[in-house]
Amino acid sequence: MTLRDLVLVRLGVAVNLVIGQIVAALLLPVYLDSVGTILVAALIGPRAAITVGLVSQVLNAVISGNFSWLPFAVVQIIVALYAAAAARLGLFRRLSTAIPAGIGMGFLAAACSAPISYFLFGGVTAGGVTVVTTLLRAVGAPLGIAVASASFATDLLDKAIACALVSVLLRSLPRTLAARFPALAP
Amino acid sequence: MIGYLPGHSPLHRAHPYTTLAMAGALLLGAFALTQPLEVWLLVLAAATFAAVGGVLRASARTALVLSLPIWALLFVLHGMLGAEPRMMAGPFALSVPGIARALVLGGRVTAIVLGFLTALATVSPHRLVEAMTAGGVPFGRTFLLASTLTVLPRMRERAAQILEAQQCRGLRLGGSPFARLRALGPLALPLVLGALAEVDEQVLALDARGAASTARRTALDPPPDSRAQRALRGALLILVAVAYAWKFWRMRG
Repeated sequence: MTLRDLVLVRLGVAVNLVIGQIVAALLLPVYLDSVGTILVAALIGPRAAITVGLVSQVLNAVISGNFSWLPFAVVQIIVALYAAAAARLGLFRRLSTAIPAGIGMGFLAAACSAPISYFLFGGVTAGGVTVVTTLLRAVGAPLGIAVASASFATDLLDKAIACALVSVLLRSLPRTLAARFPALAP
Repeated sequence: MIGYLPGHSPLHRAHPYTTLAMAGALLLGAFALTQPLEVWLLVLAAATFAAVGGVLRASARTALVLSLPIWALLFVLHGMLGAEPRMMAGPFALSVPGIARALVLGGRVTAIVLGFLTALATVSPHRLVEAMTAGGVPFGRTFLLASTLTVLPRMRERAAQILEAQQCRGLRLGGSPFARLRALGPLALPLVLGALAEVDEQVLALDARGAASTARRTALDPPPDSRAQRALRGALLILVAVAYAWKFWRMRG
């Protein structure tokens, strides 16, 4: 990894962690904790994006003190690989392709996070998702179905918004700045 | 939250890798154990770990604050909404297998949180960086872990400034979820674009400090390591492997 990649990775990690602060201020029912990972995947590539995801997960644990969510780092790797592939296909160039790409990403992320949530934590993870799981369980859904439904509902929305935001960000880059990233060349 | 708490306990004096290996073993062990008694023995081990580090009170208090919401959700999701048979506990008809599962899952989270909070309180970041440098870890990795923590407060401050500035220009943060979602762009875009514009400047500054050099760096004050500590780290690795072997052997049975 070059020095420039390292600085961009650090930026990606900071974006992952700080966007959460903005989302909390807006009281949105999503996390958007992978915007930095997707952005770096589009700007540099999968290796740097995986690093962003893993470092974000570790630092998030260090900052919050809750290290039990470290197994969800696998989801960040999936997101990074998918985002790099989507960027290579040019799916972030338009909102009309970025949002469906985000839905696909959300599907994969949920397919990966739901089993972790179910088998390792019995469905009790982050607050919002667990509330949805509990509500579904209260109306009679089996635990596995409740966990999967809650994960899919939140991840599809979360990743669709994250990909849309990255698409807007990439299109808002001034030409002089965009020219510094060969991966963005048409 | 808890940070590094200076002290002279055996964990403070130990090589940072040894303390982190213990916390890592607690994390991996927690997922290998599946019976309430086993998991609670692990919680006891985590508490002993914190006591050896002289940070039991601070770690346990923070672990309690972090674990309580999870315990509450586990109680509702598994204890109250769990499968039959049920037992009466005061006004609640609790699921017997649900409570057993909640005890395993809650104990698991408590052991992990307690273990890592202890590591966080007893491993000096400076000593960790020195240990990594002495161990030949490439500069990039130490840079990522150490410098991102210093960048975060700056970015948070900038995010708060952008939020105030946009509110002064009439941005409304309330309303329907869609209206709030539309406010995300004016807040996130200046933050990320501003940070991207500074990248090249930061690269030049780092390059000027020799960060691009691939030569092996010399640690100024590397923490001492010993054969006993290396043996302990190896033993922890074997212990975790045995725990998983036992788990899978039981699953087959």
